Amino acid sequence: MTMRRWLSTLVVLGLALLAAPMARAIPPIQEARLDNGLRVLLMEAHNVPMVVMRLTTPAGSRFDPEGHGGAAAMLATMLADHTARRDYRAWADWLDARALRLGADADRDSLSIGVTTLTETLNDAVAALAEAALAPGWDKKRFAILKSDALAAARKSLETPDVRAAEVTLRLLYPHHGYGHRPDGSVNSLARVTLDDLKGIYRRQFRSQGAVLAVSGDVTMKALLRLLRPALKGWRGRPAQSPRDVAAPAPTEPRRVHVPMPTRQTTAQLARLGPSRYSRDFFADMLLNHILGGGGFSSRLMDEVREQRGLVYGVYSYFVPLAAPGPFVISLKTRADQTNEALKVVRRVMREMHAGKITARQLAAARANLAGGFAHRLDSNAKRVSLMSMIGFYGLPLDYLQRWRARIRGVTLAEVRAAAKRFLDPDAWSVVTVGPQGR
Amino acid sequence: MNIHRFLVASLALAWLAAQSAVAEPAASVPRLQTATFANGLKLVVEEDHAAPVAVIEVWHQVGGRDEIRGKTGLAHVLEHMSFKGSTHMKPGEYSKRIAAMGGVDNAFTATDYTAYFEIIPSEHVDEVLGMEAERFARLTLDAKEYAKEIRVIMEERRMRTDDDPNSRMFEELSAVALRLSPYRNPVIGWMQDLRRLTIEDVRAFYRRYYVPGNAVVVIVGDVDFAHVKRVVGRTLGRIRKRPAPPRFRPVEPEPLGSKRMVARLPGARLPMTVIAMPVPAWRPGRNDREAAALTVATEILSGGRSAVLTRRLVDEGRKAFSAGAGYDPFSMDTDLWNAYGMLGPKQTPEAFERAFWRVIRDMAAKGPTPAQLAAAKRRIVADEVFAQDSLYLRAREIGEMESVGIGANRRGRWLALLRAVSADDVRRALKRWIRPERATTGVLLPKKTPTPHRQRRHHERAGGRA
Repeated sequence: MTMRRWLSTLVVLGLALLAAPMARAIPPIQEARLDNGLRVLLMEAHNVPMVVMRLTTPAGSRFDPEGHGGAAAMLATMLADHTARRDYRAWADWLDARALRLGADADRDSLSIGVTTLTETLNDAVAALAEAALAPGWDKKRFAILKSDALAAARKSLETPDVRAAEVTLRLLYPHHGYGHRPDGSVNSLARVTLDDLKGIYRRQFRSQGAVLAVSGDVTMKALLRLLRPALKGWRGRPAQSPRDVAAPAPTEPRRVHVPMPTRQTTAQLARLGPSRYSRDFFADMLLNHILGGGGFSSRLMDEVREQRGLVYGVYSYFVPLAAPGPFVISLKTRADQTNEALKVVRRVMREMHAGKITARQLAAARANLAGGFAHRLDSNAKRVSLMSMIGFYGLPLDYLQRWRARIRGVTLAEVRAAAKRFLDPDAWSVVTVGPQGR
Repeated sequence: MNIHRFLVASLALAWLAAQSAVAEPAASVPRLQTATFANGLKLVVEEDHAAPVAVIEVWHQVGGRDEIRGKTGLAHVLEHMSFKGSTHMKPGEYSKRIAAMGGVDNAFTATDYTAYFEIIPSEHVDEVLGMEAERFARLTLDAKEYAKEIRVIMEERRMRTDDDPNSRMFEELSAVALRLSPYRNPVIGWMQDLRRLTIEDVRAFYRRYYVPGNAVVVIVGDVDFAHVKRVVGRTLGRIRKRPAPPRFRPVEPEPLGSKRMVARLPGARLPMTVIAMPVPAWRPGRNDREAAALTVATEILSGGRSAVLTRRLVDEGRKAFSAGAGYDPFSMDTDLWNAYGMLGPKQTPEAFERAFWRVIRDMAAKGPTPAQLAAAKRRIVADEVFAQDSLYLRAREIGEMESVGIGANRRGRWLALLRAVSADDVRRALKRWIRPERATTGVLLPKKTPTPHRQRRHHERAGGRA
């Protein structure tokens, strides 16, 4: 049903960054533009008889009306649920009879509708995508039901410490900004969401210009366009705000907040603003994060907190590269009475790196891991579509993938140290803990 | 772990061969190539040269089911310790070397098996096979490393189970629903057992179970079979042959009557209901129609946008905000079939259960409609093709079918069985297996605590500078 995927979205975005050209030729991204301005990006892959498509528009949760967090996510749910031509039952039966896997979800910047199909049902898949996108049903009864289910899911999600931590973290980082709430919304904000909110976002932002359709799989551009042109010809217009049209969030005072929850572990999130998708030092920032806590078992935090001290099962860091600076987060869970000990280790690692203690060897290992892992980042239709959607949506050059590995390898130790200087002063990070009292 | 998988095994090959309407790409469809070495180790390879990437997996036919009572969690602890050093590799070095190649490595443990995997640029396959052989046969199992790692595992248990009310309830429900089956124990182990395990337990378990006759090496991706066969022959294929101990396979008794358990947990905010009962896994040649029928029935109830449980219980009945069901035909033995309902503030477990059994009774009486049956089969087949998109999932399916004793070469047979399922088969399977008097119902309820909202605001105000 609806997608509540704050974390997995971050992971997807994180992985999306990591692509680089591989030795064997990566299939080039083919580009076409429909008369209505829709940009189509395709990577052909004929090894499995399937096609994955994703239509991405600048209609993410940052366009939720103030206090109505979750509106864009509800819009996504509604678009996938039924259409003007078919009620939810007929729509579900029609899709299922063709084994079309259709879904929609909202991120902070964008709203996407995706379809996965066998090659043999590609015609129907294109028709389904067009119908979901261009013929919304706006059924009032369904809206009431889906909203009530989303509210219950939001209440249920309060059982998850990460959700509780994220709600606070985002409020601290973005007190007056569209990034200041979880895309799924909260119990309070969802209660205020109306069908008119959804229609408003759709009318203003869900437009053919500035939208990207990314496709990967067993199809050629010629065949694809032959299907797309008639299916999408009724779609028009320019969104009120383009993907890049977003205010830079003002930095906030770091704070320390505790959220009580009857758990055995404390979930701790350290957070500050990170780099935007357009940061000039993006690749240095990425390597910094990889060395710090983005590189799994080879990262410094994992080594110090888990491998050397056994304090956690996992500790990791990530930043979310959005049109404007997204959150940069370090996250861990540890038995409640060990919280301070674990945080102390984290802060020491940050302080050391901030002071320039990053070795050429660590940088070389991170570069090798990222560059060497490129092929794996591109080895499925689903991953290729994610990457192309990101490249298309944020307007990155189409040779981004071809140049990626060289740019990773070109990052110098001085640049990574400068990135550490920018980001890793531990006193500039807010700390949110969720867990039992008396930490 | 075991219950939540509805991904059934797959192969585009079988599907394409069977669907005459579908043409060409047969040439690019992968096929399995296998070899068995003198020490009993088996190799299964699926070549795919679309990208210069390979997945290597080493599957051991040992898991939670092989632990003795009081020592649950041991198979998983050994999995963790396998990253903590061997004769020629320091603790943590294995993963560092994989990372340096640009690869990813990890492992997973289940009741039926333990598996290690690497996703790597294919140029490094030979080297990694050598590393796997070293890890297989030469673990250090150092006491100091163990002392740290057992703490990591306890944190893993707290994170996955103790602090997640739904998981915690499901863990307990499994123990209540099953009497002898090893699926009644959590793979990660009961916390009281983890506290008492020792490195000696781990060493004994390792010596007894990590033997080549118990293992299958699966490689999917950009490799040449003849070449990797040679490399495995001089690495993993050289490990000394030792007897493979028999596996613990008790026969789960038929339930005597319905059971019910209620868990009131402080972390729970809304109720959840799970209805579970033992059902047979697929035993090729012995219960083909039954296992296939249960699979199709579960897909009709829980798969796709038109899932019957969602439609009847969520959209129409308003008895839950989310509902579904799960069945794993690729377990070693009788396992739990389950249905769940996530309940909103005004929805009660009792009303959900009544409505659920009404849905089951209806379908057991009337059977699915021809459209429901056809769509479910089509989705299952399509999902198997979609799964081909991921090298990792492909390797995992092969390893799993090998490890539970079905055999990956039966993937085509399985799809043929699914296609042959009739509406009557579905009715019969539901009537025979999915019945209230066989079921254990687990209910998760919130435990009353002071209103968290007020608390939270209060503490935010109190929060000072970092």
